[in-house]
Amino acid sequence: MTVECAEASFRMQFPQPANSKPMNVQQRVLKTISDVLNRGESEIRLDASLRDDLQASSLDQMTLFIVLEDEFQRTIPQEEIADLRTVKDVVDFINKKLQETPQT
Amino acid sequence: MNRRVVITGAGVISSVGFGVDEFWRHCLQAKSVVTPVPSHWNRYADLHSRVWSPLPDIDFESSGITRIERLQLDPVSVFAIEAAHEALGRAGYTLRAAAGKSRTFIISDIDPSRFGVYLGTGIGGAYSFLHNHAHHLYERPRAIIVDYAKKRAPAENQQVLSDIATFMMHGPRFNPFVVSMLMPNAVSAAVGIKFSLTGPNLTYCVACASGTVAVGNAYRAVRDGHVDVAVSGGSEYLADDHGAILRGFDVAGTLVRDYTDPETANRPFDRDRSGFLFSQGGAAVLVLEELEHARRRGVTPIAEVVGFAETFDAHSMMSLAPGGEQIERMIRAALADADLTPRDVDYVNAHGTGTKNNDQTEAEVIDRVFGQSVRVNSTKSLIGHTIGASGAIEALVTALSLRDGMTHVCKNLVDPVIDLNFVRVVERFDPSVGLSQSFAFGGHNAAVVLRRFE
Repeated sequence: MTVECAEASFRMQFPQPANSKPMNVQQRVLKTISDVLNRGESEIRLDASLRDDLQASSLDQMTLFIVLEDEFQRTIPQEEIADLRTVKDVVDFINKKLQETPQT
Repeated sequence: MNRRVVITGAGVISSVGFGVDEFWRHCLQAKSVVTPVPSHWNRYADLHSRVWSPLPDIDFESSGITRIERLQLDPVSVFAIEAAHEALGRAGYTLRAAAGKSRTFIISDIDPSRFGVYLGTGIGGAYSFLHNHAHHLYERPRAIIVDYAKKRAPAENQQVLSDIATFMMHGPRFNPFVVSMLMPNAVSAAVGIKFSLTGPNLTYCVACASGTVAVGNAYRAVRDGHVDVAVSGGSEYLADDHGAILRGFDVAGTLVRDYTDPETANRPFDRDRSGFLFSQGGAAVLVLEELEHARRRGVTPIAEVVGFAETFDAHSMMSLAPGGEQIERMIRAALADADLTPRDVDYVNAHGTGTKNNDQTEAEVIDRVFGQSVRVNSTKSLIGHTIGASGAIEALVTALSLRDGMTHVCKNLVDPVIDLNFVRVVERFDPSVGLSQSFAFGGHNAAVVLRRFE
């Protein structure tokens, strides 16, 4: 179990399982939401509201964004996510983040 | 009449093995892993001790510990869950996913209110504390320096600014779960949540004696009828981003100093010992169970827990009281608790850190109480010191030694401080009773007494 020192960050290295097939950004966001909220991927519609439709508590949303940070290797400041309401808002936000900021 | 308490399952993470089978096989082979500390730690301090015993990579996913949990828990809690998962499985319990909460388990056919969790840790989630504290301190000043270097700094200053920015490296986020990650009681809480156990749930913070104190109190809880089953043991994670935890033990002068040959540097009870080998951490969990409860399930115990005692030196935060009077009182009390005498004991798993002070005092006490009548070894001679996990790992070694009638050598021991009956070769013997003892910074002493299960 390595303690890594890289230019941009320190990170505890836990081995990650290899993904069976490559997914696009939207698929990865939907899969992450499904995992964090323990809901079937079919329930995670793009127009679903995180809070009202998917019943994500504030704790669930905190969890969702640290897992998305890990999934996409980007830092997501809490003030940037306050206005995200639907699944599509999250997908759009992540797409924008990937274009704007370098990997952490 | 007291209820009998048996160990029905165990799980372990250590630098020499992941899982009881690999761990025990490697212990009997006297395997050790000693490597240089992560090189960047040396940038932050002139360390005297630059070797440690690192952990192998571990596939937590296969034990049902998801990435989501690993991002919300300190490694110390992840280790505790992992070891508990192995221990409950080996004890014959069936785990199924909790409905609607797929990241937690329910144990089939049990009353969860009769299951307690009793775990020890020395420093809890210190890794998460330090990791997030570095982010808190460095994120903004580092950004200022990087911005200045990019936009305005003259060329001749670029190198020094880059060096400073490198020193100020930090993790990518201030984790919103940091409080629940760093609090020591997260260790037992994480296990209680993961396995849906609603009985007493306690984390013992007693430095190097934490694991022994946790197992001992779990034994009492089962014996006295407070619970029927106890998930007991210890867990520790001692690495951090910048090597500050190792530095703390290093400046205190407790770590191995003479490591020209890393393989033989760690030598408990030898006259040439120079301190303990720092470990990245580890965990051990023992499932303690009331005998009739275990019999009804048809499981074969590994060993029986028959005694426990604790005493306190009231002498010094960091040094054993010379003479070891309270340690001797503890040993005699633990044996009295088991209704045994020193003559009944066959094997002592010593605290055996490899520090000058510990090994001298401990050897004197063992000599005084037992003389040559017990075999003695130090599990720390193989895996280094895992602090709050050590007592639980050593209780496991004691149980396995009684079960198999053999134990591991006291590694690198050439010229003993006192000529006790140290284990020099792995050979069959016929142990009936073993004692495992731990002494902690602060002055806490604790011992558990185990008996071969008949």
